[in-house]
Amino acid sequence: MALLVVGPLVALPSSFLVGDVGLSEIAALLLPEALRNSIVLAAGVGAGTLVVGGSLAALVSFWEFPGRSWLDWALVLPLAMPGYVLVFLLLGRYGDGGPLQRGLRPLLGEDFLLPNIRSAPGAIVVLTAVLYPYVYALGRATFLAQSRSAFEAARSLGLSHGAAVLRVALPLARPALAAGALLAIMEALADFGAVNLLNYRALTDAVYRAWYGAFDRSGALQLATVLVALSLTVLALERLLRGAARHHGALVTGEAVPPRRLHGWRALCAATVPATLLGLVFVVPVGQLIIWAGRSLGSGATATELARSASTTLALGVVAALVTVGVATVVAYGRHATPSRAGAVAAVLSSLGYAVPGTVVAVAVYTPLIWLDRRLADAARALFDIDLGLVITGSAIGLVIAYVVRFHALALFALDTRMGRIEPSLDEAARSLGADRARILREIHLPLLQPGMLTAALLVFVEVMKELPATALLRPLGGDTLAITVWEATKDSRFDPAALPALLIVAVGLVPVALLIRASRGR
Amino acid sequence: MATVRALATRRRVLIAIVSGVAAAAVAVLSLPAIGDDADVVVYNGRSQYGDEPAFRAYARETGETVELRGGTAPELYERLSREGAETPADLLVTTDLANLWRAEQADLLQPVSTPRLRARVPPALRAREGAWWGISVRIRTPVRSTERVPESAIRGYEDLGDPRWKGRLCLRTSNNEYNQSFVADRIAKRGAGETERMLRRWIANRPTILGSDVDVLEAIAAGRCDVGLVNHYYLARILAERPRFPVAPAWPDQAGRGAHANLSGVGLVKGARHRANAVRLMEYLTAPEAQREIARNGELPANPAVPPAPPARAWARVKLDPIDVDRAGALLPEAVALMERVGWR
Repeated sequence: MALLVVGPLVALPSSFLVGDVGLSEIAALLLPEALRNSIVLAAGVGAGTLVVGGSLAALVSFWEFPGRSWLDWALVLPLAMPGYVLVFLLLGRYGDGGPLQRGLRPLLGEDFLLPNIRSAPGAIVVLTAVLYPYVYALGRATFLAQSRSAFEAARSLGLSHGAAVLRVALPLARPALAAGALLAIMEALADFGAVNLLNYRALTDAVYRAWYGAFDRSGALQLATVLVALSLTVLALERLLRGAARHHGALVTGEAVPPRRLHGWRALCAATVPATLLGLVFVVPVGQLIIWAGRSLGSGATATELARSASTTLALGVVAALVTVGVATVVAYGRHATPSRAGAVAAVLSSLGYAVPGTVVAVAVYTPLIWLDRRLADAARALFDIDLGLVITGSAIGLVIAYVVRFHALALFALDTRMGRIEPSLDEAARSLGADRARILREIHLPLLQPGMLTAALLVFVEVMKELPATALLRPLGGDTLAITVWEATKDSRFDPAALPALLIVAVGLVPVALLIRASRGR
Repeated sequence: MATVRALATRRRVLIAIVSGVAAAAVAVLSLPAIGDDADVVVYNGRSQYGDEPAFRAYARETGETVELRGGTAPELYERLSREGAETPADLLVTTDLANLWRAEQADLLQPVSTPRLRARVPPALRAREGAWWGISVRIRTPVRSTERVPESAIRGYEDLGDPRWKGRLCLRTSNNEYNQSFVADRIAKRGAGETERMLRRWIANRPTILGSDVDVLEAIAAGRCDVGLVNHYYLARILAERPRFPVAPAWPDQAGRGAHANLSGVGLVKGARHRANAVRLMEYLTAPEAQREIARNGELPANPAVPPAPPARAWARVKLDPIDVDRAGALLPEAVALMERVGWR
């Protein structure tokens, strides 16, 4: 299964071997800066999401303050906001000629200019703002599931509440936090929309430039290979760091640590800092989208077209999520049930799709699929004398396959953190009671894995909905997704027409986020 | 006990969801494959230019179903070349001639010529054999702040490299196809050495690099820059809404070759399954109704019978230097490498 996913990606390094040996001219020109920028971006987003997401998760889990109950779920909301939508809003709202600059000019002088967000800090801040929920959600779920016994033991040994959080709860949650940050880093490395709009010349942008600017496909594939190598390094680093630290925090026992009430200015800070953050990255942007969308309603945006692209998006997302989680479950379970070096390597390899830009995944899967398609079409013509056309690449099947390759890692991580916490002793106990493997899977693992599967499916769904480059290349006849609609208007700085689809992306994105919230609260 | 029941409920819900989803999946996955019943399929690189009204009007008039598939020109080209003979596309519409040229070179287009097309599109705006036909003309021109820059300050593209614009020049990113075609055409006509010298002087002015032509215009209006380089219709579009917008075109080389002009155009795909419909749609796109729709966007119509819409109407007499597509197309990779080398971000 993992091999199916990884097959197209394994072919990437061969781009160095065909034609001239070594980097193409354009790739050599682009590589140094792009590599540096990607590393800076990954480090920045990793650190940013860990700090923001981790501290928010700890704050909400271990302290009680006014507004906590709704911040608990509201802090996941930015997950519904794609990076490129945030950039689109920033450029439209806070750019030159935007209302913020105009509004500040009477106060700060008529020559006042806002700092340019087209910079490394700008890219890091934007991506951190939309990616921190990964760390937050996984961290929060882990804190909730943590047994209070270790925490209380620490307290009884004289540690304060805060110190116990810092020295016991956080280290115990390290695998989950790291998994969240890793997701954020992988997504930052693969991000194309936001990076491209900010003209931050990371590797994904370089791939695009080499390919669609210089028409140098082998150069683009070479750069993509470097990108894959970079993600592999990040993955390896994480595994190395996690290495010994396997915490089988018992999922089945214990209750969560009771949060401790904050008073006075501390409570005020605890409530306002996250609320302000949320306001800046979610509430204000959504408000802006609503205003623009309202304006565009007057000028020809038709509801039926929107409904169609929305339902296309929804259907694609659901199908891809289902298939992806199915594949990921098999891979994760296979590795858990029969640990082997080959299985582990396959799982790691198959998760690389997440760090490869959608464009590259699209072409990597497209090349074999179009070949298969042609054979199918020829065979149909020869055998049945019917004109089949391109069944796979002409329909949504090719796109779904690309999504699976692209987002398999996401599902795998969500499942893995869950799987890692199922005590191997459970298997042994069940086996000693005479249960066979199928029964263990059905009656022990699947029920325990279900929340993880749900999380995985929802994460994949959201990602598919936001996905841009692969969708653009592989979308079938008859349906543009919302992301495509937004992208096409955004490229031309036409903010009003893009607002309604963007708002829909965020709104539809909120559905799985809300379900995710419900699922995590119902536990 | 409670947890066991909760698990059982959750499993039932999950099974319900899964079966519902499976039904949806079958529907989604099979529909497009069998639903290939459009009367004409267009790979449309102009989708962001509000051309849907023109296509919709065509569909209404003829009763045909028009399938539009949007994307950037390079994406569509890439797709077309991979699909080869199996492509469902009948027409390729792009905003930039370089990509039509690429398609022609890759043997993906077939020549077509009808009396109507010949009557509507002047020879300068079409391929000799009819591999592609122009739809509209787009001028890439320097622009200036009307508040800070006198009209006489910019007389050609070289003047953007005048040291007086140090820190006052705004450019769009170098991955933009209009900039790439401009540089390629420049190399074709003035040579690589002269083009590199000009670009190095531009970059020596430490230009602010922005994401779109509209951003460049807004930056000049806001005072971040004094001069910039944009396609004329972006300015026309803003001026139509805000007549006092403080930016004006500074038409280059009016005593010489004229302003660099690119074309958006359409080509008939080789092996088009709906050839007759596709040709009819090509004719429709160059007919006055559709051309007026395209002109509303500020572009200059290819059909000389249709006047540009105001405020671009006043610009119809600008001396133009149409892109030398055969040479510029081949020079695109060199242009991209040159822009990288001189440090155009």
